[in-house]
Amino acid sequence: MHRACVLAAALACAAPPTLAQSTTETELSRRLDQLASELAKVKAELATLQQQRFAAPPVATAPAAATTAASTTAAASTTAAQGPGLAAEPTTVLTSYGEINYNRSTRDSKNTVADVRRFVLGYQHRFDEKTKVVTELEVEHAVSSSSDPGEVEVEQAFIERQLTRQWSARAGLFLIPAGLLNENHEPTAYYGVERNFVETAIIPSTWREGGIQFVGNFENGLTAQFGLTTGFDLNKWDATSTEGRESPLGAIHQELALAKAGDLSAFGALNWRGVPGLLLGGSLFTGGATHGQSSEKSRITLWDLHARYTPGRWDFAGVYSRGTISNTAAFNTPLVGSATLIPKSFDGWYGQAAYKVWSNEDYSLSPFVRWEQFNTARSFADLGAGLTPAGARTERVITLGANFNIGSGIVLKADLQRFRENGYANRFDLGLGWSF
Amino acid sequence: MGIIPIKLAGLKRSGLAAAGMARDGFTDMAMRIGAIGLTGLLASVAACGGGGTTSATDAPATATLSAAAAVGEKIFHDPSLSASGLQSCASCHDAAHGHSPANALAAQLGGPNGELQGMRKAPAIRYLAANTPFFFAADGTPTGGFFWDGRARTFAEQATEPFVNPFEMANADKAAVVAKVAAAPYAAEFKALYGAGVFGDVESAYLRISLAVQQYEREDTEFNSYSSKYDAFLRGTATLAEQELRGLALYNAPGKGNCAACHPSARGADGALPLFTDFSYDNLGVPRNPELVRNADPASFDLGLCQRADLTARSDLCGAFKVPSLRNVAVREAFFHNGRFKSLKDVLTFYVQRDTNPEKWYPIAGDGKVQKFDDLPERHRANVNTTEGPYNRRPGEAPALSDAEIDDVIAFLKTLNDGYAP
Repeated sequence: MHRACVLAAALACAAPPTLAQSTTETELSRRLDQLASELAKVKAELATLQQQRFAAPPVATAPAAATTAASTTAAASTTAAQGPGLAAEPTTVLTSYGEINYNRSTRDSKNTVADVRRFVLGYQHRFDEKTKVVTELEVEHAVSSSSDPGEVEVEQAFIERQLTRQWSARAGLFLIPAGLLNENHEPTAYYGVERNFVETAIIPSTWREGGIQFVGNFENGLTAQFGLTTGFDLNKWDATSTEGRESPLGAIHQELALAKAGDLSAFGALNWRGVPGLLLGGSLFTGGATHGQSSEKSRITLWDLHARYTPGRWDFAGVYSRGTISNTAAFNTPLVGSATLIPKSFDGWYGQAAYKVWSNEDYSLSPFVRWEQFNTARSFADLGAGLTPAGARTERVITLGANFNIGSGIVLKADLQRFRENGYANRFDLGLGWSF
Repeated sequence: MGIIPIKLAGLKRSGLAAAGMARDGFTDMAMRIGAIGLTGLLASVAACGGGGTTSATDAPATATLSAAAAVGEKIFHDPSLSASGLQSCASCHDAAHGHSPANALAAQLGGPNGELQGMRKAPAIRYLAANTPFFFAADGTPTGGFFWDGRARTFAEQATEPFVNPFEMANADKAAVVAKVAAAPYAAEFKALYGAGVFGDVESAYLRISLAVQQYEREDTEFNSYSSKYDAFLRGTATLAEQELRGLALYNAPGKGNCAACHPSARGADGALPLFTDFSYDNLGVPRNPELVRNADPASFDLGLCQRADLTARSDLCGAFKVPSLRNVAVREAFFHNGRFKSLKDVLTFYVQRDTNPEKWYPIAGDGKVQKFDDLPERHRANVNTTEGPYNRRPGEAPALSDAEIDDVIAFLKTLNDGYAP
């Protein structure tokens, strides 16, 4: 019975909720027959679609190798339909996602903001069955000019080439596979109006670097990714601003914008989806961050462990991430006394549970709760008595809310967030998001 | 290092074998190129970060000046270019004092007989290579410019004024200056550089005189030597003493000295060594200096920025003066635009006790009230900065720095003197 529920989730079929309650063998085999016929129906629809698109003889449906998170995001549905080894015509696909958010401080209502947080347009162009280019352009905060708060940035720009059936290579500006959110950061992919703090303050989503990456997808459900990229620039640390306290790596990321590349970084990530509905994984990123600009050297390392489990209507997720910066005493000494010194370590974790309480063909409602704790300045290297700053207090945020999905690409969200340390940040949020 | 290529190639072979995929010649070559490239890149990661710094400010000093700078140096040190025959640029901009005056006078004496007092203290003119012409930044902050009120756009423009200022070098007009240069021992050098007929036209000769002085001020490493103990500390070749480090911490701390807010002490993001000024302006309400002859007239006020012809409408800027660089501040003899204070100890004590103990700094009127900000007319006293630390406190509150802490900060400021030799 439990296995039947899990299978149903994997095949994305709308299995009726009562499946979970049946216990007899005849009931089980009846359900299995039902699932088999539904699968056959889906296969037939797929074949028809492919026939319409390519005017080619219908092909045997590609095995349902679940599109892994390692493949690129939004338009994955289109590219997966072609499957590897299919002689497809080159395709240019437009992708987009957007978030419009409303945040209302519960303690201080004059701090109420509404914002087009992100508007992203991208395209994927497939040159041939093995090669494609993926790009994404983002506008933050609606209006970007020297006197407006917005920013325009190239978020992704890479080519991907399938080398073998298991291995592909990417080169260019791509997302680092860390945590659950960084590679799947569309508003429809996470619970809550705002992205969680562990994966924004500790893992600086949306975190992208330039370089090369190899991606391996194996039949046992393992995905391996590793590569060589640009990294962070510690020389950018501004001890007079609070940016470094909000997110140490967010304050010194380079986003491949005239990035200093004297020091390169290496990363690796392993994700295992061997059991349907379960994802276990971790990543490691490390590299020099001084680029020969000072006589001292420093290395920045960030690693994470994450898990996601979606049995039936439940969706459990958890991430732990920790970052360290080496030799910070040497870099902090000239900055001694300033407001924001470079921390030696920073970390955070969260646990999240969501339950799809109601759904029909078009809509679904998933309330969720998330408990996260993070510290952006866990410890500082010793600078001497009276000069060494104390570690920051660990912030704890509890988020309670719901995602309301409309169709397969639109989400309405609402949540309440409560901060233990900074009560003035308590807020009520509403959000609208889409992704295709 | 030899281990890496072997391991990598081994990985690739086994990976491909596991895939069971046939390899064609092209894929094979691509793999090998990729492996070699990856090896090279990995090697660079392993041996990451070259030694030594590459910032332009750390480059070795240029030993020789260009022709224009060489002539400019001679002009700079030539007292015959003044009406009295006794005053050159170097008289008020003395190299031994960070190119600021060699005495503690509130304003230097000049004029045809060397007895007229100037309007303001002669500023130090080092570390101004990055200074821009005056402008208003995006957020409205006045920035840049030469002189205490930023009215000159460049070094050259600044150099044109003292020659003909009746209280300074007091030449009758530009023609007089040009004639003196034409009679100087380096006139031939000047002509060789700018053409034999250069002295024929007064305006263009005068312009070239100022340009030569500008070249000297830009090229001579004495003006930008970055040779202080603090520079060595930032480069990693020296360590600060305990008191100096304490002083730096107090200097940087927003709740203590907060000096770094206007006099930044940190390297720039591009690695540039700090200039200890943000080239902006501030209104500190410095007490009136009776030493200045002009202040004998109670209606005479030095209003700084708003006294400029182009800024008379900006009454909010009345009383604002340039934030100077603190490099070599410890060898300066008088401080602020009106030379009111003569020691760093007094300056820092004023900063932290201006508002907690105003009676120490300002005169007390007949009715017993302290005449705070007495060097500004009453209608402009609201312009004085009272919101930024350390001068944002009230009478009765403890000053931001104690006496001992002030000594620590002074110890740190002494590390900013050029010419450090371990």
